[in-house]
Amino acid sequence: MERVPILKLGDILIVSIQIDLDDQSVLTLQEDLADTVVSRGARGVIIDITAVEIVDSFIGRMLSTIAAMTRMLDAETVVVGMRPAVAITLVELGLSLGGVRTALNLEKGVVMLEHARSAEG
Amino acid sequence: MTGEVLTRADISGDQDVFAVRRLGRRIAELVGMESQDQIRMATALSEIGREVLASGAAGHVTFSLAEDRVVVTVEYGDGHGMRRSEGLTLAGRLVDEVTLAAEEGRVTLVKRVPGHRRSPSAADIRAELAPLAPATALDELREQNKELARTLEEVLRLNGELEETNQGVMALYNQLSAELEETNRGVVALYAELDEKSSQLRSAAEARQRFWASVSHELRLPLTSIIGLVRLMVGQGGQPLSEEQEHQVNLIGSSAETLLGLVGELLDLAKAESGRLDPEPSLVDVVALAEALRGTLHTAVRAEGVGLVIEVSPEVGEMLVDEVMLTRILRNLLSNALKFTQEGEVRLSAEVDPEMAEVVFTISDTGVGIPEEFLERVFEEFFQVPGPLQLKAKGTGLGLPYARRLAEALGGTLELSSRQGEGTTVELRVPHRMASPEIGHVLVADDDAGFRALARRLLFGFAAVVDEAADGYEALERMREHVPDVALVDLFMPRLDGAALRQRMAEDEILREVPVVTVSGALDEQESAHLSLSKHGLRRDRLLETVREAVREAVAARRGGGADD
Repeated sequence: MERVPILKLGDILIVSIQIDLDDQSVLTLQEDLADTVVSRGARGVIIDITAVEIVDSFIGRMLSTIAAMTRMLDAETVVVGMRPAVAITLVELGLSLGGVRTALNLEKGVVMLEHARSAEG
Repeated sequence: MTGEVLTRADISGDQDVFAVRRLGRRIAELVGMESQDQIRMATALSEIGREVLASGAAGHVTFSLAEDRVVVTVEYGDGHGMRRSEGLTLAGRLVDEVTLAAEEGRVTLVKRVPGHRRSPSAADIRAELAPLAPATALDELREQNKELARTLEEVLRLNGELEETNQGVMALYNQLSAELEETNRGVVALYAELDEKSSQLRSAAEARQRFWASVSHELRLPLTSIIGLVRLMVGQGGQPLSEEQEHQVNLIGSSAETLLGLVGELLDLAKAESGRLDPEPSLVDVVALAEALRGTLHTAVRAEGVGLVIEVSPEVGEMLVDEVMLTRILRNLLSNALKFTQEGEVRLSAEVDPEMAEVVFTISDTGVGIPEEFLERVFEEFFQVPGPLQLKAKGTGLGLPYARRLAEALGGTLELSSRQGEGTTVELRVPHRMASPEIGHVLVADDDAGFRALARRLLFGFAAVVDEAADGYEALERMREHVPDVALVDLFMPRLDGAALRQRMAEDEILREVPVVTVSGALDEQESAHLSLSKHGLRRDRLLETVREAVREAVAARRGGGADD
């Protein structure tokens, strides 16, 4: 089982998924992320799936779960870098990733989080 | 309907699902589906695969190619569980057809290949898939393991080879260093031997000097008493002797005097040999000296009809030289010449060689001459050319060697040329020293001892003191001890060369004022730069002129510098 590294940039956590995630890795990632959000007091999480070619219902559910979980911990989750083919497939599957915000790339994801924060502030 | 089988794979864990979907994607690509369809195919397989795993079964997947479609059959073993679940529904949205045969435990996925793309044959696709063949992660791991083992083996083998090579190199190195050490030992031993030899030679030479000196002293004392006693016997006031007795006593006396002369010569030579000849120069009128010689040698003219001709060129005039030594040399040479000449003449000429600034005395005779094979040996002590005339003439064979030593002590040279039966010519060159030196102290820095000697000779009479240094460091040391008026520096020297030496001098407070004349063996005289000389064909007048110029410039510069202050 491989662990997905969690990077910290200011009060944003960045998770870049580079591998095919199996059940155990997904569970570990969810736990690690929750712990880190709490311990670092992060206000935002960016999940970069640029390297992910295949998003099936399992991964889709995982993203929704993470978004819901971090929102409870007062952190917004943004999924960035989704490939067009992945987006099309997700729509065809009928998965809309409810409650998960998306941005085109990492940079826009960061801007989006900062906007959200200043709107709150 | 099922078509040709392309490949098979097993599903028994998460990683297998990934492998199967990668395989599906690759097949979709190979049969000519567009990239979106490839993703659809892979995602559908992912959904089905996870569904199989979720049902707790192990699956067996078969990919096959029918005419215009790819058919994937998933058999999930024990038939337990998988109804029309969500995964199947989702997969159904991505492929053209999903059929579940629950009682047989089988799901079939069908994906059409777009007609306009002519897909390659099943065999080609199989060949393409071959590298991916161990589709399950376990197999892949195993394969990787094997590869790793192979690589490891290779590395081990290479390591072994390297070690072997290393050993070879070490052995070679050891051998070489052992050989080197041995050679070294040999060299050291040789050195020690040479050292010993040279010290033996030195002590032998010393012993010889001591022997000569003391023998000469010891011999002189009794001889002078013999001569004194003879004078007492034959002198007035002594007891009258018979004619016969008087004749014999006179013979004793003259023999003793001859012996005393010989011992005197020996003593002189011993002194010359030990290098203790110190010339005491004074102003000498060469014409007067020659005339005096004629007077003393007049009696030595043995044969009738042998003339003694003396020619002294007026430009020689007076010269600064040790009179006693010069007289001795000339008398030795002249009496030699007279001894071995029976007819003709003996000629002494003296003239100035302006190029080398030397007075050349030439003593030529028309005597018996010296055979070629003895030309060098006549300068050996006690050597006499065998011959009837030599037997008649008294001699020790010390005259020429002594004359040469004296000539060297005067800073000159003595050369002899001769042809048997035609006579002998001896050329004595003595530096033509001026009345007083023009310049005080000159330092000659050159690693070539020959050039230093030449420079010393050329500067003789011009410079009061000539100092020598064999390289730049030595030159610096000498100059710090005694600042010279001018320095003659060779460009090419070991340790510190000429250019570096000038640099160091320029950095020194005192030495920067010393004018420098550079000398080089490489430069052509025509191309010589300012204040530099070529060693080739160096002439005294040019050397002196350059040195004068250097001194002039230095003085001018110092004045100029003084005005600036």
